Amino acid sequence: MIRSVAYAKAVLAGMAGAMTWEVVARLLIWAGVPFFDLVMMLGTLVLPHAPAWEAWLAGMAIHLLVGAIWAVFYAYFFWSVLPLHPALQGMVFAFVPMPLAIFIMHPQFDLMHPLVQSGQFPSSGLFGLSGGAHEPLSIATGHLIWGTVLGLLYTRPVGYRANRAPRLIRRAIGARPPVSSAAEPTDHRFMFATGIECSYPTLEGGRWRMDQMAACGHYRHWRTDFHLVRDLGLRYLRYGPPLHLIHRGPGQYDWNFLDEVAAEMQRLGIVPIMDLCHFGLPGWLQNFQNPEVPQALADYARAFARRYPWVKLYTPVNEMYVCAKLSALEGLWNEQRRDERAFVTAVRHLARASVLMMQAIAEERPDAIFVNSESGEFYQACCPDPEIRRIAAFENERRFLPLDLLYAHPVHEDTRAYLLQHGMSDAEYAWFMQQDVRSRSILGVDYYEWNEKLIDSTGRAQTLGELFGWYAIAGQYYQRYRRPMMHTETNRMDARDGPRWLWRQWHNVQLIRQTGVPVVGFTWYSLTDQVDWDIALREPLGNVNPVGLFDLNRDPRTVGLAYQHLVRLFGADLNEAPSIEAVLDEASKIAAQKVRRLHA
Amino acid sequence: MLRMLRAHGLDAGPTQRPLLAGAIAGVLAAAPALAVLIGFQALDAPARAAGASVFAAALAYVGLMLLGGILYGWLFQRAANDPRGGWLFGMAFGFVLWMLGPVPLLQWLPDQPILHGYPAAGLLLAQLLWGLAMGVVFPAIHRHLHVSLENRPSSAFQSTGPEAVAQTQMLRPLPPSGRPPR
Repeated sequence: MIRSVAYAKAVLAGMAGAMTWEVVARLLIWAGVPFFDLVMMLGTLVLPHAPAWEAWLAGMAIHLLVGAIWAVFYAYFFWSVLPLHPALQGMVFAFVPMPLAIFIMHPQFDLMHPLVQSGQFPSSGLFGLSGGAHEPLSIATGHLIWGTVLGLLYTRPVGYRANRAPRLIRRAIGARPPVSSAAEPTDHRFMFATGIECSYPTLEGGRWRMDQMAACGHYRHWRTDFHLVRDLGLRYLRYGPPLHLIHRGPGQYDWNFLDEVAAEMQRLGIVPIMDLCHFGLPGWLQNFQNPEVPQALADYARAFARRYPWVKLYTPVNEMYVCAKLSALEGLWNEQRRDERAFVTAVRHLARASVLMMQAIAEERPDAIFVNSESGEFYQACCPDPEIRRIAAFENERRFLPLDLLYAHPVHEDTRAYLLQHGMSDAEYAWFMQQDVRSRSILGVDYYEWNEKLIDSTGRAQTLGELFGWYAIAGQYYQRYRRPMMHTETNRMDARDGPRWLWRQWHNVQLIRQTGVPVVGFTWYSLTDQVDWDIALREPLGNVNPVGLFDLNRDPRTVGLAYQHLVRLFGADLNEAPSIEAVLDEASKIAAQKVRRLHA
Repeated sequence: MLRMLRAHGLDAGPTQRPLLAGAIAGVLAAAPALAVLIGFQALDAPARAAGASVFAAALAYVGLMLLGGILYGWLFQRAANDPRGGWLFGMAFGFVLWMLGPVPLLQWLPDQPILHGYPAAGLLLAQLLWGLAMGVVFPAIHRHLHVSLENRPSSAFQSTGPEAVAQTQMLRPLPPSGRPPR
């Protein structure tokens, strides 16, 4: 599947185009302009001796049907291919069916037509050109009208208006008893995981919701998806329930969908790493500039932990740095701001939310484990220019900013000045430095081919590809925070290279473990292909990115088989790895020793 | 375009059987198409032109549609498994086959077109119906033909096993080194 197609929208757009074509044709014919009457030609082909209105109806039905079918074809193969205004894209696409209609369909219809065969209608000849220029010109004009209308109407095939929920979620599932606590899973050791892609940022000033669970078909196929996880031999699943559909208002939660999902997870023995906030917020909370966000998310986390007391693994806020950067610095999502102050505000709110959520969950479930997943970033200066080096150094400090606040790690003095300049008071900074939520934390470092960047001679960041790799980048994060680590996301946009990339990432994990870094998990993200991540979800185009262990038809990709192979090959060895509790204890001891050494 | 499609991961994976699924779907879909062809008497004129019986023409049609199904599976591979889009891919493929096969062979190349009137319409309808039916049944058939994840062949291991990490497209290829002594 190349694209995620909005079928109803495509059919309606195609029919609207065909309708417009007929309206224009009818007006011109009534005005005496020599214009080819396609609808009547089709109608009399089917009903040659019927009254004119019946023939017109039959012809119109065929015309609408053909218009709709070509529109679905457009939606699958042509939409968003050209960097043009949608109306122009549709018009250009009209040049595909146009020659077929002029040179093949029209003359073939003549051969089929009983009234042409009986001589009552003129024939257009073998290639449709012997009846004069007006017929091919009429057909060409009609196609251009159809294509333009189609292009105008078929836009935004994925996502939905932010104030409307997808149908499945809205459907009343009926009152269900709360999910009871199930038997506690045995101790967790090395976690081979995958994830369900679940991002839900808003675009267009908060009016349009990009919902990956909807775009990737998870709301339709969630049961199948869980079975696929187990088929691969996996047990751990990074799962982000749709916050925007559950948290309906202050103190209002709609757990219907998640109750069913959670029950199925328990039945299948899937251990979720619950990802409570993934790049978006409910409409009523607006965006990450809102100071009410941290407390609202903490309330949600507390309610969540009460509702599902068997859930032990949590990611409170996913990739805080990326979320703040793309929302408030690059202007792509949510608040869509492009200024440093907005970025610092988003970071403050995200980090505070994360701290409060961890505290709220820990109050409900003191043995909860937190997987703080963050994007592993690195900036390399291209040249010895002091300004370029300064930019790279600044970015290399800024990448740590949300985690520094979360883990109460003092920031670099330049970064401290930057925070102060852009709205973080000394008191707020001191509050972060006084929190201690680390003791039950695993640091997740995500890694993709675009995470390492070059600061070029103009001071801009360009993607480097895999230069130093996860081993080196994750190592920097470990040196800074000394937390147990997990490789929490990776994938490859070129499906052919997926298995190679998977094994390379795995060897990075093995190497860093050999150096004594406690890595407790590995994740291929995600279970299925994703939609529009090649453009960082900045437009609702519907382009499918073949990064999944399974495609969107839920057929396995080669990388899915490779991951299954990997888990089989290394799973037995890693079952002997220390338990995560033991790793957390060990990390706490090391941290305590470090504190004692500092005091000494 | 083909490179883009390959990068897109449309290649069928080692657990899939697109050619076999295409062959079966092509033959199955030929049944309703044959009914249309017979109903519109679209086989009579071609059979006469070839000096064969209608039955022989029908058999030839089924054989050609078997090949068409295999071609469909080979071309569309993973995309053919799409239950939502299969009907469209199939119908488009049926239309293209009609355009590239019967239209030049029966209508353009002979001195006079062989099919006129309803038989000509029947042939187009039959091809569209064949494509539609094949596109619809293909995913369902293919699902039954998938080699299960548990029982996939060992030949798949080269593309999925640890050796997948090896760089094989280097400008200076080296033979694998010998095993070191114990």
